[in-house]
Amino acid sequence: MPGLSFENFQRNEYLVNQAGFKPPRATSTGTTIVGCRFKDGVVIAADTRATTGPIVADKNCEKLHRISPKIWCAGAGTAADTEMVTQLIQSNLELHSMSLNREPRVVSAMQMLKQHLFKYQGQVGAYLIVAGVDPTGPHLFSIQAHGSTDIGYYMSLGSGSLAAIAVLERDWKQDLSKDEAMKLCATAIQAGIFNDLGSGSNVDMCVMEMGKDAQLYRSFMTPNVREKKQRNYKFARGTTAVLRQSVFDIVEVVKEEEIPVGSSDAMDVDH
Amino acid sequence: MSQDPSTYNGGSAVAMVGKDCVAIACDLRLGQQSLGVSNDFEKIFHYGHVFLALTGLATDVISVHENFRMKTNLYKMAEQREIEPESFANLISSSLYERRFGPWFVGPIVAGLNTKSGNPFICGFDYIGCIDFAKDFIVAGTASEQLFGMCESLYEPNLEPDDLFETISQALLSAVDRDALSGWGGVVYVITKDKVVKRYLKTRQD
Amino acid sequence: MEIALGIRVKDGVILATSKAFTRGISVLKATDDKTRMLNDYNVLAFTGESGDTTQFAEYIQANIQLYTMREGSELNSKAIASYIRHELAKSLRTRKPYQVNVMLAGLDKGEEPFLSMIDYMGTRVDLPYAAHGYAAFYTMSLLDRHYKPDMNVQDGMKLLDMCEAELAKRFPVEFKGLLVKVVDKKGIRNVRGDTKVDDPEQ
Repeated sequence: MPGLSFENFQRNEYLVNQAGFKPPRATSTGTTIVGCRFKDGVVIAADTRATTGPIVADKNCEKLHRISPKIWCAGAGTAADTEMVTQLIQSNLELHSMSLNREPRVVSAMQMLKQHLFKYQGQVGAYLIVAGVDPTGPHLFSIQAHGSTDIGYYMSLGSGSLAAIAVLERDWKQDLSKDEAMKLCATAIQAGIFNDLGSGSNVDMCVMEMGKDAQLYRSFMTPNVREKKQRNYKFARGTTAVLRQSVFDIVEVVKEEEIPVGSSDAMDVDH
Repeated sequence: MSQDPSTYNGGSAVAMVGKDCVAIACDLRLGQQSLGVSNDFEKIFHYGHVFLALTGLATDVISVHENFRMKTNLYKMAEQREIEPESFANLISSSLYERRFGPWFVGPIVAGLNTKSGNPFICGFDYIGCIDFAKDFIVAGTASEQLFGMCESLYEPNLEPDDLFETISQALLSAVDRDALSGWGGVVYVITKDKVVKRYLKTRQD
Repeated sequence: MEIALGIRVKDGVILATSKAFTRGISVLKATDDKTRMLNDYNVLAFTGESGDTTQFAEYIQANIQLYTMREGSELNSKAIASYIRHELAKSLRTRKPYQVNVMLAGLDKGEEPFLSMIDYMGTRVDLPYAAHGYAAFYTMSLLDRHYKPDMNVQDGMKLLDMCEAELAKRFPVEFKGLLVKVVDKKGIRNVRGDTKVDDPEQ
């Protein structure tokens, strides 16, 4: 990717190898993500837990990314990588479809993603399920961080993929209806949520159907709502001892003056 | 001599959302492993009305702060206005990810109010720029695990500025007391529409 | 195992460095000066990998002097500290970083006493008193206990004596005493351990 700076690479190599530092841990989307095709479209779903090691960093993160209005992608692996790689391909695909004057195709998105990921030899840790509808029909692909891809009617990825695939294998059949596919995906994600430690919280879902706008269902299911606290730990004001305090105003007060439009002495400027 | 850049100097930060207000707080310690060096190392900076806490390797905390000071000043000159919290969050994200394979060892937290909508905004990042949008609280630093526990139990939504101050202060205080690498003083900013109150907390000195 | 100590007092800054120049198990020199004068009111003390240390300090010294020649005005202490930090942070990102820890003592704008400690990574802290390396473990407790912000240079010297006594007693390495410099309104001067007087070879 042009623009990625390797400026600190040598420094960190030095810190890790010579100065005996240990590299830190990035946020990863432990994750269960699934995708499933139905008669006239495709649906993808994801859990919403982000982890740093054993710590739940975000209880309700978004793992469903938009690549184009009718092509969406679910990401597992290194959270920053899935987010950034998806944003990059989103931009490039938009430019691509504008230059061709055609609706973007799912295969194009997949090809751009796999070529990018292959270039980085697995170092960009994005594991993706790409799905969408385009003039050639509904599509469902999975992409591994090293750049390999798969095509399928149903698939799962992430640490919860084993739990999810079991459900998919059990209940999937050819030509599911939209509702059946949505239900199947939700059940598969829940299998991940409850049986995999890296996955948790809610089910997000996105349905892409031929001839219709894609539908994002954020918090499609919320099977893990925290019970409302019956009482609270509110502290009486003045509980905390303060050494000193200062009050300041950070808002810059700018007097706005209205300038009459089209006044005769206005300068002509080429825009 | 196994060191970890994110725990070498120590230090923690936390941000919380209240009713039409946000609060952001940090400790004041800077150390070299077990040795405390400074009790005056503030980790919260502001660029216009947007606040940024930076935990992690101290040299990078300084470098990243100086870098964002430059970027926000250039932004201000180009746009003729201060940067908003949401835009700043994306600026941080892309700046950190730009260094994906040679990262800054920092754990940033952003807090502020959007000037147009007045909406409170907080978010956190991992060291390569993955944004953690949260509606309630964000933690970072060597006491982040303790802070998670404290915030999870003490936090409640829609607190008034004065109550939010107590909640975030007590969360910080209790958390850093259980972290050898954090503490040695604390600072809390409570940000409301028309003013910012900065308070230095009285803390344990061990 | 080198020592660099600094104490900022009301009317100046005291800077002390160990006089031993060691390589491996041998003390090669007992009158080493681990400081460089940057200009009339700023002096830099340094510890770290020998070779790197003087090379870096003299590079800084030359650039500070070059700045003065070009701009016709002295750089103040804060600016110098910022410049040095930047150089170290920049160096850390190269193939072979300078392994140098420094302490900058000076009168900021010729008025305000200033002490800054910067390690090889570029971690800068401005402090009332500071020590680099293992010496910090022995001296910080004394400095914490006896330091007062309104001390003058004389009081500061007494405090430094306590630190040196403690180091001589408990520090397992022979450091051949301290070279002490003071920066105040009168400029920079040696107050103890003048390298010329003490050097038996001269």
